[in-house]
Amino acid sequence: MSTLIRYVPIVIVFALWEIATRFGLVSRALVPDLGDVATAFWQLLTSGELLFNAARSLGRALSGLAAATAFGVVAGLLMATIRPVRLLVNPLVQVFYPMPKSALIPVVMVWFGLGDLSKIVLIFLGCILPVVVSTYNGARGVDHALVWSAASLGASRREILTEIVLPAAMPDILSGIRTALAFSFILMVSSEFILAKDGIGFLIATLGDGGAYAAMFACIFTVAGVGFGADRLFGLLMRHTLRWREQ
Amino acid sequence: MSATPRAYVIGDFLIPMLVIGTSLAAWEATAQMRLINPFLLPALSDVVVRIGKDVGSGVVIVDLALTLYRALSGFAIAAVIGIPLGILMARAAPFRWFFDPLISAGFPMPKIAFLPIFVLWFGLFDTSKIIMVAFSSVFPVVSAAYAGTQGVNKWPLWSARSLGATERELLWEVILPMALPQILTGLQIALPVALITTVVTEMLMSGKGIGGSMINAGRFADSVGVFAGIVEIAMVGIVVIRAVEMIRRRLLAWHAEARVEA
Amino acid sequence: MESSVGIDVRSVSHTYGARGGREIIALKGIDLAVRPNEFHALLGPSGCGKSTLLYLIGGFVPVQTGAITTARGPVTGPARERGIVFQNFALFPWKTVRENVLYGLEKLGLDRKAREQRAREFIELVHLDGFEDAHPSQLSGGMQQRTAIARTLAVDPEILLMDEPFGALDAQTRRVMQEELRAIWQRKQKTVVFVTHDVHEAVFLAERISIMSARPGRIEHVIDVRLDRKAGAEVMKSREFAELSEQIWELVRQQAIAATRGTV
Repeated sequence: MSTLIRYVPIVIVFALWEIATRFGLVSRALVPDLGDVATAFWQLLTSGELLFNAARSLGRALSGLAAATAFGVVAGLLMATIRPVRLLVNPLVQVFYPMPKSALIPVVMVWFGLGDLSKIVLIFLGCILPVVVSTYNGARGVDHALVWSAASLGASRREILTEIVLPAAMPDILSGIRTALAFSFILMVSSEFILAKDGIGFLIATLGDGGAYAAMFACIFTVAGVGFGADRLFGLLMRHTLRWREQ
Repeated sequence: MSATPRAYVIGDFLIPMLVIGTSLAAWEATAQMRLINPFLLPALSDVVVRIGKDVGSGVVIVDLALTLYRALSGFAIAAVIGIPLGILMARAAPFRWFFDPLISAGFPMPKIAFLPIFVLWFGLFDTSKIIMVAFSSVFPVVSAAYAGTQGVNKWPLWSARSLGATERELLWEVILPMALPQILTGLQIALPVALITTVVTEMLMSGKGIGGSMINAGRFADSVGVFAGIVEIAMVGIVVIRAVEMIRRRLLAWHAEARVEA
Repeated sequence: MESSVGIDVRSVSHTYGARGGREIIALKGIDLAVRPNEFHALLGPSGCGKSTLLYLIGGFVPVQTGAITTARGPVTGPARERGIVFQNFALFPWKTVRENVLYGLEKLGLDRKAREQRAREFIELVHLDGFEDAHPSQLSGGMQQRTAIARTLAVDPEILLMDEPFGALDAQTRRVMQEELRAIWQRKQKTVVFVTHDVHEAVFLAERISIMSARPGRIEHVIDVRLDRKAGAEVMKSREFAELSEQIWELVRQQAIAATRGTV
């Protein structure tokens, strides 16, 4: 219950909104009535348009994120444990890290056009570095006493990597994935504004171009809400996976 | 594992240079040998030539100036609103109660999704872009100002109070200086956010600016232009980050941070 | 190959090269012979390299100069024959007590029933029955260290290396653990190399004590502890214990002072 009470200010903001539109404090053309937004949301939902586009978007985002996680964790672990790999890959990571991956939108446009692949590749590229860096840092930070204990208990190098280093680095890895999750949403929305034929970003842009502002607001709140919800869900997942950390 | 000084030089300097150098050479070689369609991967030499041309003709300068103007304006607004708000949140419970959920809910949201709303409200020109940038950048600033002010050690405060300092003196002469490192960290995070948001916003709305030029290049299938744009953004990013680090060191020279680093 | 020594350390030296170029000589010309099934303590001030020597014996750090041999041959890397217990327990925090103890057993190729049986046996040995399903974060320091000891003993190493295992515990728990360790060692004879800076602990537990100098570490003296091995904790009240402790402290004192002053 206390968690819900925490979000009362958001309700207050919506209440202020309703008052502003109801009393004509702001132009109805610019700020749709909350009721209209709700109606538009319901229409989009029942017509299936919202779900279809949301599903397309989320499918792309999660594909890119999943691929980035898989490659990123492996790369980070290898970098942390095999010196030549680290020496080779680290400079590239340093060079590409400060570059905003959104800048790659024109590049994937040139490479893959408007289809699914361009967005999945974009999200993959944008998400892989946070995962690699956090996995690398997490693996490097593993107490060597844990590694040595495992070795003296008969574990092979490979077993040490998968059974000891990976779980020990998990808090950092999950943090990195959480960051990547937020990136995936940002890249999903931005790329769909520019180069898409479907998806929620495309839907928002189309509704905006067509003047259906109430529906546009509805979609924007939906995607913002889903982004927020996904993060919170991931937080819960993290807490559950890392429950051995209590105290 | 022992590392002699020589190994240190090799590991930290030579090898990275070698790796990057080899990558660049491989890039050029692949393009020259037409191993990959030059449309997909234009030659490094072509890209460099294009950058040179753009710099010479002043196009890049104009674009850069525009992008920086928008980014810094949005950033400034975020700072001017965010820092006082964060401090207020730390000092006054009602503010904290009201804004904390808004800020923490807003953080993980893809704020770029709100761009169409800002365009609707503020038009197609610079204003909407700057406000979008401010909106995206304000979150890390508020968060850091809040954390920094909250975390100020009680003891200097109590000492100052017992020496007769007024609330206002307390704020300006004790609290703010002590919160400064964290506030600066928040600004350090917000600046790249402002830059990226500006570039993306320019891409979404076309026109001039680095983002706009890049997306135009993309639309006209001018892959050399696209890659040139990426290199330019990367370099701007590096320069900005270095500049910010330098400013931070200057400002915090008196702080424990500087001592630790030295 | 029959060997009259459990661990043979010959002319071992070790240097750490710091990033800035400053080299630190941790050990210089260590010659040490630990007899089979002997409880041997390495006693010395902080920074004297005793832990480094332990890690070299364990095979966790490669030998630079000299040679270390056990009955099984030269030490080239970590192996099951040389188990280790650390000061910070080094338990796998995401595993329960039982899972920690089972870890090494799973590598032994025993069938499930035998594994569980053995794990239970060692958990009972360290008096942790009832806590099998707890995670390390839920246990006290003493309990965590017992888990670590159970985990290491469960795979039946010939040599047990202990790196100031009770250093992180409070004084009372430390005393209890010392007595328990002594009791366990009397039941399951193994060669033990025990690193400590606590003179009383060394005299209580060990049969022979190597006293190390401040950095760079050398073995200055090797003392035989002629106390009744069968006696329990009451041996600490005996006159022999007090005299021997004083004697050894005198030898260690010079080294401790040198270490505090940072002189070499």
